Amino acid sequence: MLAAHAQTGGRFTLKGTVTDTSGAVLPEATIMLLLPKDSSLVNFGRTGKDGSFEMKNLKRVTYIFKVSYVGYVPYQEIINPENKEVVDIGKAKMKVLQKELYEVVIKTARAPLSIRGDTVEFDAKAFKVPPGSSVEDLLRKLPGVQVDGDGNIRAQGEEIKRVTVDGKRFFGDDPKMATKNLPAEAINKVQVFNGKTEQAKATGVDDGKREKTMNLELKDSHKKGGFGKAVAGVGTDSRLEGKVSYNRFNEKQQFAVLGFGNNTNQSGIARNDYQDFKGSQSFNWGDDGDFGFSSGRYYGGDDITIQPNWGGQGSEGFTKNWAGGANYNYDTKKTKLSTSYFYNSTRSITDVRTSSENFLTDNSSYLTDGKNKTLAFTGNHRPAFRFEHNIDSLNTLILISNSRINGGDNEYSSETRSYRNEGMLTNRSDVNNLSDYNSFAMANLLLYRHKFKKKGRNFAASVGYNINNSDEDRRQNSVNQFLQDSTKNSVINQLQQTESTRGNFKGSLSFVEPFAKKFFWETFYNYSMRKDKVDRDVFDVEGSVNEVNPFLTRYYTNDFTFNRLGTSVRYSHKGLNLAVGLAGVQFDLRGKFALDESQQNMTRVDRTFKKMVPNVSLNYSLKNNKYLYAEYGLNVREPSITDLQPIVDNSNPLYIVEGNPDLIPQTTHNAYAGFNMFNPASFTNLYINAYYNYNEDQIVYNRTISADLVTTTKPMNISGGDNYGTYIGFGFPLKKTKATFGVNTGISFSNNLTYINNVKNETKTDGYNFGARLDLTPSDAFTLYTNANWNISNTEYSINTNQNQKILNANYNAEMNIKMPKEIYFSGRLNYRSYKNDQFGFNQQVPILNLSVYKLILKNKKGEIRFTANDVFKRNLGITQNANQNYYSERRVATLSRYFMLSFTYNMRGMTASVKRNGFF
Amino acid sequence: MAISSSPLFAQNLEGEITYEKVMRWTAIYSRLTFLSNEEKGRIEQTWGKDDESKTKMVLYFNEKQSCYTYPKVIENEHGWSWSERDYKIYRNFEKETKTDVIGMLGKTYIVEDSLRIPTWKVMNKIKEIAGHMCMMAVTEDTVKGQKIAAWFANDLPVSGGPELYAGLPGMILELDVNDGDMVVTAIDIKMKPVAAEDINVPKKLKGRKINDKQYATLVSDHIQDSVKARRAPFWAMPY
Repeated sequence: MLAAHAQTGGRFTLKGTVTDTSGAVLPEATIMLLLPKDSSLVNFGRTGKDGSFEMKNLKRVTYIFKVSYVGYVPYQEIINPENKEVVDIGKAKMKVLQKELYEVVIKTARAPLSIRGDTVEFDAKAFKVPPGSSVEDLLRKLPGVQVDGDGNIRAQGEEIKRVTVDGKRFFGDDPKMATKNLPAEAINKVQVFNGKTEQAKATGVDDGKREKTMNLELKDSHKKGGFGKAVAGVGTDSRLEGKVSYNRFNEKQQFAVLGFGNNTNQSGIARNDYQDFKGSQSFNWGDDGDFGFSSGRYYGGDDITIQPNWGGQGSEGFTKNWAGGANYNYDTKKTKLSTSYFYNSTRSITDVRTSSENFLTDNSSYLTDGKNKTLAFTGNHRPAFRFEHNIDSLNTLILISNSRINGGDNEYSSETRSYRNEGMLTNRSDVNNLSDYNSFAMANLLLYRHKFKKKGRNFAASVGYNINNSDEDRRQNSVNQFLQDSTKNSVINQLQQTESTRGNFKGSLSFVEPFAKKFFWETFYNYSMRKDKVDRDVFDVEGSVNEVNPFLTRYYTNDFTFNRLGTSVRYSHKGLNLAVGLAGVQFDLRGKFALDESQQNMTRVDRTFKKMVPNVSLNYSLKNNKYLYAEYGLNVREPSITDLQPIVDNSNPLYIVEGNPDLIPQTTHNAYAGFNMFNPASFTNLYINAYYNYNEDQIVYNRTISADLVTTTKPMNISGGDNYGTYIGFGFPLKKTKATFGVNTGISFSNNLTYINNVKNETKTDGYNFGARLDLTPSDAFTLYTNANWNISNTEYSINTNQNQKILNANYNAEMNIKMPKEIYFSGRLNYRSYKNDQFGFNQQVPILNLSVYKLILKNKKGEIRFTANDVFKRNLGITQNANQNYYSERRVATLSRYFMLSFTYNMRGMTASVKRNGFF
Repeated sequence: MAISSSPLFAQNLEGEITYEKVMRWTAIYSRLTFLSNEEKGRIEQTWGKDDESKTKMVLYFNEKQSCYTYPKVIENEHGWSWSERDYKIYRNFEKETKTDVIGMLGKTYIVEDSLRIPTWKVMNKIKEIAGHMCMMAVTEDTVKGQKIAAWFANDLPVSGGPELYAGLPGMILELDVNDGDMVVTAIDIKMKPVAAEDINVPKKLKGRKINDKQYATLVSDHIQDSVKARRAPFWAMPY
């Protein structure tokens, strides 16, 4: 403290009076003492009523004495105390801030004004000019700057000889080049100063001459060019892959193209590529236009737009994939426009071997095995459009229109054999199907949101119309032989022509009223009206004669109307959000069925269902990264119209599907609760959750199996099935940032009900899961991530108890990354799965090892060359098993296995390689 | 470094200032050293148009003390409430002490120490904020590695300010961290008597007591650990 050292003899006193240029005193002006080397503030005070000041006990060094006073240019003077006891600077005369500068820069533009030596700088962002204006237009607005008709610029009375952009020359020496051509919105700051002449710069000899120079500092966003990436790879087994992506974006516009092709089973769009393609329109919430809580909600439509592939494996079988598209976004605070087009196609070969065991009520079973092959092609064109306009701060309008035009063909052939007891062949079936299809789907939505002046009071309305029309021609050929009863043998040779149209009109309203500061009361209404029309003509083909098959030819229409009116109240305060609501739901199903459209007496289905659905939810964000949540709701699902139809579908003679017009909606009570915690200091985390679901009037498929092994299924309602379980996960660092350990465990119980040959069967499955993970990240040159998961599942059947089974699954993963000298990296991934089922004597081990070595090359690491070995052990056998409801099946698909690939990537922004995974950011 | 509250000036100065705190997340993310240019570009392209988050804060002050915290009524426009981490910054200019109640790193810390003023460099830049002519001063947060610019009012002679900053000849009406990453700007200044409970450090405070040095160690360790673990450090503490 300076005051505490008053006795030191080396100190001095500074005094004086602050006045304006006319000598009038300025009271209460701020006076400051700064150190000249870095302007650091060492002392400050105020002038008295008479404008005088006195600062005592000052250390004997040189100071900058600075005064600031509203409306005046800050005053500055160097104080050198030398040997004086008292330094009296007399009158510090302050100049009035040029009125023009004050009014324009400070008052109107709210821009900071800086006077730094001989540089006067304006923050150009603050000066509003219409969009599309040039820098010249902006300069005309700046105080102290004049631009004449020819574009010559004068600043502070002198002609500007040079204009630089970010300190560099801009296309030659003509100062007008930059000011006439650059857009005003690209400019961050305008600086005017006396620069050295070009000659002085060139020779390095300062000739003392100065030229008035103007520097335009560009906004960061206008410095951006595009960024893009290209990958090409060649592999053994004629594997090829390629991908190109390019983006360009600035303050207002974004443009992207993406294209890829491969025969390495990569059909989806990677998450990052999706985000680079869609840009600011990657994620839009609330675009479904459905309002209200989740209970009893009706979800219509399928994914018409492109979706990112959130990880996961490539497709099965062998596929060739092509995809490409372009996206354009225009994006301002007021208007957002996004349009895109994307095409993708996949040609696949799927070779499958199947075997299954079906258990019958009398403790007997039969076996089926078969093989089938599918050659398929599918292609999708997807135009998308989204327009969002903020009419003003209270009103927003969103218009969305997405389409999908799909076409494809399918060639399917199969051979199936069924055996009863000791390998006795009971029937065989050979099928050859060909189909050709195309479809058109479109989803349109208009959404309006209005905020009232009263904060929290909101109104929203949406209307939408969706179309989904399809057309399919299908040739079905099959030869079916029953070895014990040859009278049932059949040869089917059919042509099916199906034309279906769907139109879905929907609308939603929501009104939210806040009350008592902490409560929100929402009232909502949802309406949906869906019309389906299916016209299926089936012909029995004999030679060149097509004869109508009256059993399978159908014409039907279905109208499905959904109404939901609901209300909920939410308490929302200090992180606690508790909502309670109730809605009434009504479904109307109306259907007409006949042989063809012209028939008079059609079979009719006319059903109305009503249900009250409650919803309770709790979300509590507690202090210090703890989070508690719980929800109870009732989900209602109406029977599908196909299930309600009184039709027998025998297109597969061994598997006959029947409808049931007496079905009622299925309701599921679901409740879940959980707690999450994360300690960011210790990096410890804990997750706990539990769930319970109970089914009422669940729609299940009753199977009846005849003596000659023909299965007939029919949907029925049944109550009492349930499932529940819990999960706990805990992770903590063994050594912070170097080693992290985690464990998790879960248990689950489920009870599925079904009828087999009209006997109720319960399938109880108990699942026990345990997992552990260890991440070793000791350095920037080596990391090892490992995890293991064990799963035991016990399935018990109430009939056929001798078929009870225990399945043991284990899954081990390890990923090792090494950074070697010269920007060479190695990465190895092992996935080891084992599957054990004693009941069927099945014990399978699948180790999949992928290795890659890559090196960053080129200037700024823009290139990467990579060698990859996929499935080194050649063990990707594509095996899946399914044990369910008196049915066990196994499926093997011939799938892309070992191959080696050499690929090259070029990234305009430079490649980065890290052995560490990204954490949460 | 001395603060002489000038005897020349003895006016009754007390009131409350409402600030708007604006965070610009793309700018903040672009400082994460472990993200690649491509990842930064992706964040900017996806979120750049909609990356600001705004909150209101209040500073209660008189000539001797100040307290900076959340407003008493937090506007809840979207019908959803998140818990706020503890953040009460008490300053006593007369006793030259400070008490910061800060929820960070999964705990509530109480930083009690003498009031140390950063080395302010006063610049020749002026602008108007909420009707007051302000002058710019800059300093540096060496712990978090941030560039700080403060705009202080000549005609509000209280050495207070928002966040953890104070010690200029006038009230800080705008604080700019890292060239716009976070900008705290006064939007409303009311000169009125301030209730004692709004400005006095409560007798009982829950939390772990630490001093400035311990605070600096905690923060810098956390930043280092986070960067090593390739995590964003700022989710666990005030920016």
